[in-house]
Amino acid sequence: MLAVYRELEGSAYLLAHAIRRLGVLRLPPVAEELVRQIYFTGASATGGIVLRGAFIGTLIIAYVIEVLNADAALAVKMLLWVVLREVGPLIAAVLVIQRSGTAVATELALKEISGEIASLRRMRIDPYDYLVVPRVVGLAVSNAALTLYVQLIAVGGGMVLSSLVIQVPFDEMLTNFFLLASPLDLVYSLIKSVLFGAAIAVVACYHGLNPGGHSINAVPQAAIRAVTEALLLVMLLNVIFAYLVYGVALFGLVTAEQ
Amino acid sequence: MSAVLGYEPVPDEESPDRVWVDAPGSHCLSSACKDELLAAMHELRPRKGARLVLLGTEVGALAERERLALLRRVGFVPANGGLMSSLNAWENISLPVAYHAPGKLAGALAEVQRLLAELGGVDDDLLGKLPEDMTLYERRLAAYIRALLESPELLVVENLAAGLGPTKRRRAARFAEVYHARCPGGTFVQFDG
Repeated sequence: MLAVYRELEGSAYLLAHAIRRLGVLRLPPVAEELVRQIYFTGASATGGIVLRGAFIGTLIIAYVIEVLNADAALAVKMLLWVVLREVGPLIAAVLVIQRSGTAVATELALKEISGEIASLRRMRIDPYDYLVVPRVVGLAVSNAALTLYVQLIAVGGGMVLSSLVIQVPFDEMLTNFFLLASPLDLVYSLIKSVLFGAAIAVVACYHGLNPGGHSINAVPQAAIRAVTEALLLVMLLNVIFAYLVYGVALFGLVTAEQ
Repeated sequence: MSAVLGYEPVPDEESPDRVWVDAPGSHCLSSACKDELLAAMHELRPRKGARLVLLGTEVGALAERERLALLRRVGFVPANGGLMSSLNAWENISLPVAYHAPGKLAGALAEVQRLLAELGGVDDDLLGKLPEDMTLYERRLAAYIRALLESPELLVVENLAAGLGPTKRRRAARFAEVYHARCPGGTFVQFDG
């Protein structure tokens, strides 16, 4: 219990530090770290998303039409609700945890064990400024970009594949899409994905910087703890966010009803 | 008694040795408490009960700001170089300058090339290499130049020649000479073995 409290406190401290010290991103070495992080988390992760996103979109449309015996309007509505609001941010978050969460935790744990973190301190460089701030911002920005990409591919690809595979008229789906889509859905999912990205980063950074030992065996353990806890945190944040938005604060506002 | 570099291990431990350098110049030391001292040198945080003196200042009693100010005056080159694995040699060497004084970055390249020429005999493409592609000598050389760029009053080097062949050992022997040419009146301490 104490360990969980310590981890939560440590992660919260890292997040607060990252927000408080955003100004260090102006320093050339920190800006380079940020660019590197965005490249590895965002740009190089896009390739694998295309097929996954398109299949998910098709699956949702096929399920709604075939299983629920619904029309194209309901299928698109479900696609918008599920993909734009929930599945898009979650898929991007899972992808970021799988690729970058493990990479960040492993890299930082190796840096800690090999003495690179101590080396930074000796150069009077705060490791939180140099390593944590660009990773938190980089993962938040990349996760938001990946979410947009997943949404685009899942909705667009889903409609294209559905028109080919299960013969739902494409123009009918497109018309329904423009009728039902709301910018609020996009804003909601983007805010969520920025939060998810930042949460993944602070958990991965915390475990990377506190690997729980100085042997090489501590590295995979740090990565496993980071992945498990980041996944749990993202699910928890999703539930809290959904409750706040749908259940308390904005009930009825985020809607795709005509 | 004041010292340029002094270390006394925890009194109740069975460690009769201590390190005490009380005059500038070049010193080659061998000590039983070397590992402990070098660990304390990493962040200027001695073990509880141990005593670390640098440039006449008792480190254990320093506030954080004073500790950071002292770090600026003291250079340290660990045996493995302590380079960042994700940065190439130039990025590693220039990291403190880029971080603390970005305006001086342009002038640093010429300075680094001059120091490389003085220390001599390395590949032209050293600055573009990642630490994993560097030899042990090149890693130490990069770390050494990084420390030299800050013109420290005290430079502590761990096992400078260990693991090097005869040619590289001869080159490494010039490190102290180059340091004193750059930092007259400074103290160069090298730990052996």
